[in-house]
Amino acid sequence: MIREDVEKILLKVQKPGRYVGGELNEVIKDKAKVDLRFAFCFPDTYEVGMSHLGMKILYSLFNQFDYIWCERVFAPWVDMEDLMRERGIPLYALESGDPVSDFDFIGFTLQYELSYTNMLNMLQLSGVPVYSRDRTEMKNIVVAGGPCACNPEPVAEFVDIFFIGEGEEVDLEVMELFRRCRAEGKTKAEFLRLAAQIEGVYVPSLYDVEYNEDGTIKSFTPREGAPAVIHKRLMKKPDESFYPDNFVVPLVEIVHDRAVQEIFRGCIRGCRFCQAGFIYRPVREKSPDVINAQCRALCDNTGYDEVSLSSLSSSDYSQIVPLLEKLTEWCGEEKVSISLPSLRVDGFTDEIMNKIKTVRKSGLTFAPEAGSQRMRDVINKNVQHDELMQTCATAFAGGWTTVKLYFMIGLPTETMDDVADIANLGQDVVDTFYQTPNRAKGKSVRVTVSASSFVPKPFTPFQWEPQDTIPVLHEKQAHIKESIKSKKITFNYHDADTSFLEAVFARGDRKLCKVLGLACERGFHFDGWNDCFSLEKWLELFEECGIDPAFYANRRRSFDELLPWDHIDYGVTKRFLMKECQKAYENTTTPHCRLKCSGCGAAKYGEGVCFEKRSDLV
Amino acid sequence: MKNVRIWFKKDHECRYISHLDLNRTMLRALHKSKIPVWHTEGFNPHPFATFPLPLSLGFRGDNECMDVRLEDENYSFEEIITKLNACLPRGLRVFDVTEPLMKAGKIAFASFTMLLREDNTSASEICAQLRMLMDSSAITVEKKSKKGIKTVDIKPGIRQYSITESPECAVLDIILSAGSSDNVNPNLLITALQTQTGLEYEVDITRNDLYNSDMELFR
Repeated sequence: MIREDVEKILLKVQKPGRYVGGELNEVIKDKAKVDLRFAFCFPDTYEVGMSHLGMKILYSLFNQFDYIWCERVFAPWVDMEDLMRERGIPLYALESGDPVSDFDFIGFTLQYELSYTNMLNMLQLSGVPVYSRDRTEMKNIVVAGGPCACNPEPVAEFVDIFFIGEGEEVDLEVMELFRRCRAEGKTKAEFLRLAAQIEGVYVPSLYDVEYNEDGTIKSFTPREGAPAVIHKRLMKKPDESFYPDNFVVPLVEIVHDRAVQEIFRGCIRGCRFCQAGFIYRPVREKSPDVINAQCRALCDNTGYDEVSLSSLSSSDYSQIVPLLEKLTEWCGEEKVSISLPSLRVDGFTDEIMNKIKTVRKSGLTFAPEAGSQRMRDVINKNVQHDELMQTCATAFAGGWTTVKLYFMIGLPTETMDDVADIANLGQDVVDTFYQTPNRAKGKSVRVTVSASSFVPKPFTPFQWEPQDTIPVLHEKQAHIKESIKSKKITFNYHDADTSFLEAVFARGDRKLCKVLGLACERGFHFDGWNDCFSLEKWLELFEECGIDPAFYANRRRSFDELLPWDHIDYGVTKRFLMKECQKAYENTTTPHCRLKCSGCGAAKYGEGVCFEKRSDLV
Repeated sequence: MKNVRIWFKKDHECRYISHLDLNRTMLRALHKSKIPVWHTEGFNPHPFATFPLPLSLGFRGDNECMDVRLEDENYSFEEIITKLNACLPRGLRVFDVTEPLMKAGKIAFASFTMLLREDNTSASEICAQLRMLMDSSAITVEKKSKKGIKTVDIKPGIRQYSITESPECAVLDIILSAGSSDNVNPNLLITALQTQTGLEYEVDITRNDLYNSDMELFR
């Protein structure tokens, strides 16, 4: 439903198709007949949010229940926001056109720290008070989940309830509780107190924080019966878990405009910089038959002619070849192509290559993450130089001529020599092309080297590490640029300023709520977009609030410091993370979960890779 | 193999999507419907569809068309309508399928209905403003092209028009040159009117029909 007031401004903004809904498979219900309305808010543009798998899963899941109507809300781009503010149009949900302030639940998925200001801005655009304490009624309950919920503290004063871990079950339990409490006439405070008893629920307002004089946390105390430790939720049986057979098919082009099929959760690798590699443990796979059937249903119901197999590392799927065989049986005839993102350097075999090639030839992307072997051992990437060259040779022999390589700079213990090795590795790939006898004839090779800046994240072995300062990162970027000699190599790098802010919020504490609250008042939004981001403005805010951002980004924490997220349990123990951190300093790698259990703690869930039969033990 | 012309309306939410997005939406619906249409060959085969005259973003389309090739010559037109509608968003509705009688290149004119409103101007005033514009000897507007901005007179592109007053708005029914050579976008008229009066109008434009150079309906 397009609101009348919105209709009047649609032709004045860029890409108005983002603001109208009306897509194929959108869910429309009669609001008089539902008991609970959930506004699923993605704090970024339509094109970004509509590409997000978690939202698709939860949207379909919630709407399966007759009593719930879940609708979608995205952040309007700045031109639209200006017009909405000018004309007093509140933020609205796409399905009904109703203002977000009409909803019982306002849910946000927090995928990246730089979207925090968008979350607050969206609340403000909705006319809903941004601080949790200012929302006292049994409506507009603001909930949040997603990877950033693993350190909820920087946004603790705005959100009523955080969902820790996977949301499929806990979200519904909380909504059930809400219905019951409302029917019984309970207050919001009573509801929150009861919600805190549900596993996987974190109600930040029920915890008191005390600080030491140096700004670190002294104590973290639950009140009113809230648990001292909040344990994450996870779906134990992926084959039996809900998966949508249908996606809303956007009218305008989005970032990932294709069907997406999840094949497993978690990652066996344990790269030491990677948060996803730890918080989603243990690895739980779907079976090839289930994946095959779900893929087919999705393609049939959406009309997409491309399906992407999604996971943190596709080639680590234990039955990747049988799966690809099953899929190619029908994909060719139905003219559906398969894409396999997140391929590991050591997972690109002839067999996989030939299966992907039968349907679509997209560019190849690998992430060695670091240039030198020593550095790759520090981060536990477990990829050898020869493997990378072998893989590239396989690809070149298969006709590929472009390769993208992703790296990080600013990793712990990194030296300028390690940095220069990024350029050297790019050169080695170029050389490999010319040494491959059956490469594509008459074509030149193109190697793209991309370097992002390392951001230390909670629940990783590097959670205690300082981030390189901005000048050091700039120096390292320049050093790579100077070290590249070949014109066949294109060098890209990410802006160090945004990485710095990301690092501040990733490991921030509740004191940062003040900064974010002020940022919202000042109209900050879309910090993840170069069009809007300004580090100077952020530094002014920090100064005004009397907060030193370097305390969060560039300070080395000691192992015995109480961290802002220590009351949250993702299954991986702090002891294990410390051990991994020490092994990093010794340039020592840790084998992946299928080779050897390293005792991270995730086995306590009693499922997944921890209980797979290992080949060496059979 | 048989060429067919699929007729549809573009309205509601789909009024706000560009031609490229329409193309993508149609291809996806064709794919989902499993109607036996000819696919392009090559690495990424997709249904082959062409649009005789693309419609600008923001316009409603009452009689829009798309040409495809049917692999099964006996496939029923009724079935195309039913199946395709089941696969399309509600803003796109197929209502007819015909065998094309004219080539896309024959399109020479298009008729539009334009509704104009302005908060502080009455419908009759807007009608008067429109008449003044249409009576001027030339209607010049700046048109952006690849070579830069140039000034053009769109008056020769106006075939016929009528201005009527409805309770809420001024209604301009107009037939303009259309097609690959002398296309006049009705938005240019609005630009000219806004330049003349300095007002910003709310405009609702529907493209009604397409014609050949003899003013016969394009079929």
